[in-house]
Amino acid sequence: MALLEGRGLTKLFGRLVAVDHVDLTVEPGEIVGLIGPNGAGKTTLVNLITGLEAPTDGAVTFDGHPLRGRQPPAIARLGLARTFQIAQPFRTMTVRQNVAVPALFRGDPAPGVAAALREADAVLEIVGLGPKRDLPARALTTPDLRRLELAKALALRPRLMLLDEVMAGLTPTEVDAAMEMLRRINARGIALVVIEHVLRAVMGLSHRVVVLHHGRKIAEGAPAQVTAAPEVIRAYLGADQDAGPGSAPP
Amino acid sequence: MRGQGPHRPGAAGAILAAAALAAALAVPALAGTYYVRVITGIFMFGLLASGWNLIGGYTGYPDFGAAAFIGIGAYTTGILMLHAHLAFAPALAAGGLLSIAAATAMGSVLLRLRGHYFAIASLGFMIVLQQLAANLEITGGGSGMNLPVARNFTTFYYWTLAALTLAVAAGYVLPRSRAGYAIAAIRENQDAAQVLGIAPLPYKILAYAASAFFFGIAGGIYAYWFTFVDPPTVFNVDFTIQAIVMTLFGGPGTALGPLAGAVVLKSLDVLLTNISVFLHNVFFGALVCLLVIFAPRGLAEIVRARGGLIEAIRADLRESRI
Amino acid sequence: MSAAAQIALQNAVNGLLIGGTYATVAVGFSLVWGTLNVVNIAHGALVMLGAYVTYWLFSLYHIDPLLALPLTGAALFALGYPLQRFVINQVIRASFLITFLLTFGLDLLITNLALAAWTADIRSVTTSYSGWSLAAGPLALPVVRIAGLGIAVLAAGLLHLLMTRSRLGGAIRATASDLEAARLMGIPTAHVYALTFAIAAATAGIAGGLISLSFPIYPAMGAGYTLIAFVVCVLGGLGSVPGALAGGLILGLLQTYAAWWLGPNFDNIVAFSVLILVLLVRPAGLFGRARRFRG
Repeated sequence: MALLEGRGLTKLFGRLVAVDHVDLTVEPGEIVGLIGPNGAGKTTLVNLITGLEAPTDGAVTFDGHPLRGRQPPAIARLGLARTFQIAQPFRTMTVRQNVAVPALFRGDPAPGVAAALREADAVLEIVGLGPKRDLPARALTTPDLRRLELAKALALRPRLMLLDEVMAGLTPTEVDAAMEMLRRINARGIALVVIEHVLRAVMGLSHRVVVLHHGRKIAEGAPAQVTAAPEVIRAYLGADQDAGPGSAPP
Repeated sequence: MRGQGPHRPGAAGAILAAAALAAALAVPALAGTYYVRVITGIFMFGLLASGWNLIGGYTGYPDFGAAAFIGIGAYTTGILMLHAHLAFAPALAAGGLLSIAAATAMGSVLLRLRGHYFAIASLGFMIVLQQLAANLEITGGGSGMNLPVARNFTTFYYWTLAALTLAVAAGYVLPRSRAGYAIAAIRENQDAAQVLGIAPLPYKILAYAASAFFFGIAGGIYAYWFTFVDPPTVFNVDFTIQAIVMTLFGGPGTALGPLAGAVVLKSLDVLLTNISVFLHNVFFGALVCLLVIFAPRGLAEIVRARGGLIEAIRADLRESRI
Repeated sequence: MSAAAQIALQNAVNGLLIGGTYATVAVGFSLVWGTLNVVNIAHGALVMLGAYVTYWLFSLYHIDPLLALPLTGAALFALGYPLQRFVINQVIRASFLITFLLTFGLDLLITNLALAAWTADIRSVTTSYSGWSLAAGPLALPVVRIAGLGIAVLAAGLLHLLMTRSRLGGAIRATASDLEAARLMGIPTAHVYALTFAIAAATAGIAGGLISLSFPIYPAMGAGYTLIAFVVCVLGGLGSVPGALAGGLILGLLQTYAAWWLGPNFDNIVAFSVLILVLLVRPAGLFGRARRFRG
């Protein structure tokens, strides 16, 4: 049974169709890349799945549980975690306390405060933020904030993580490190949906790639296949241009 | 709001707190009645400020209608003592409990609002209760009600001190508890808190009800102390504003900040009243304006800034003015 | 017409007429909130000052209150400009709690200065036409209330024209939508803010002048009007002049019917209940855009 199954997901803002009857399936342990030009509806799709927006139409189940109508906290507690495109740390709390929060509230089993803080320390080691654990979150650099987002998502002990542009603005070395970290996370059995513009990362990580454009799914398949498809190239670069696969879109 | 989460004061802090408490317990035996009254007044505002801090400081929900619960506590205590002939202690407890109930009911509606809307809706709640109290018979309507007179003033001193200690303790325990982490997360970023598994409303209600409890207790003590209660006196936004300013000044989101703010500002207020009873509200209004403009981060700023005080003030103004 | 229908209709008329005054009270508050993002708790105090200015002009110089309205407006404009320019502007980019507290402090200051200067004695303004009513069939239309509604519509219309057709209005709206961008475009934002607040204060003063004709005048009268202003804004939407007019009329109708049905001492209860209902069901108000506060 698929871990995440979204059927016909649609979101209208007035007359603007942000997400147009999108089907999205994620198998346990899979890494699915979700790409598309800016404004394609990727973040909105994630908001629909995680309950921050109500779908105008369509249904989504996670681990057999229907998600429609559930509030975000309940969905998070089912094991579905997400990061935000613009990092959303708890600014005046320390890095450690930030990560302790999801550890405390992920539901069953929920540790006490001391245990949650210890757990946070462990998770921070995984993402490489150990030395900075006592800094206030607002003191972190952008790459570190991304790692903090990841750490918080991990502390939920999720089965699926929806990662929204965690690599934006990173140098190539940082991208490599991030890819390595995501592979390690995936190796623990956590499925990933990776929204990215950094095509190198998507190609390198994904088992499967889904392409959105103007809210619709226009392609799906193996990375190399999808990025070579003419309709995908057209979507990124405009109908009157031609470029080879693997080039980063503007 | 500053702060990197709760500090661990350690053994030194605990000894200091115990010493302060011991000193406070000894005051009525050592000081004259005037000073006991003044200090009780300071404790009362410390109680209000510490209580307000739970919803306003820690949770980030500026409750401008907190005096609603002063009124609920005052009238409950008064009605039970006057008509049901209850003793002070149970009447006071009932006032506190009724405040919790009212806050839970009202909070489940009001706490869905944010920012300006919550602030004014909560204020509106207080105004409505004021009007209700003026219209009901059991509260004595617009003429108010008279409570039985207490025999001994030091009763109020100890009750207020007890409630204050409880409120400060709550301010210490809350941020270190599981609920406190939820509340801090909600304050910092409610949407992020939700996707991390926190359902915000129950925690907000918890903070709101706790603060309502302390305001209710303060109201009950006030009623018995002044023996007269009427709508505009207890459902009075001035109490709330003073609590807010004292909290802001002393350091919101800390356990002792509100008390410190209350001590400093209330002492100033007493001094001003001795100069001119008539104008002391004017002075207080001016003081609020000056504090808000020049010391928005409060006592913490002034204490830390020392030599660089002017520069610290200038820096704050640069950030906030156009 | 049956007696019941007549009463109902009279109530409707009364509600609309008082609603006009409510709209005038609220329009300045809405302007400041919508464009400066400041909830001016001292707004009611400005209304109170307008009432007192009218009262003193009337009792000392025998100037008719309605004729004095421009003077009252000008006086409050002169007060409002420096208040914004040199006081409120200092904290305008700070957190909401700070600006809220500042306007609260100003409210305390103004109200208590008034109390110190003029005592808590209740004053009123009674002109020769205070008790006059026009008769429209079986209905009675108090002349002062008609004036109130007429001036409300006039003020709303002028303000709307100002906001949508004038250069100043454009500057105000630009500054409201993006402070930094407006500044970069060369708009003198501190001055624009001060003008906006001054205009709002002027309308508050005019509202106070209208109120002085029908209601008691005393230093603490402001708080109730601030609450009214708030409810009207929530009903009609922020920063919308037509919204303030519509919201005022609706609130006037609701309160009048509630007073008839429940009794006269329940006006705040009605206002508050309406407020809560609207906030829960349609927070953007009837004409406003949804504004998300981060709490």
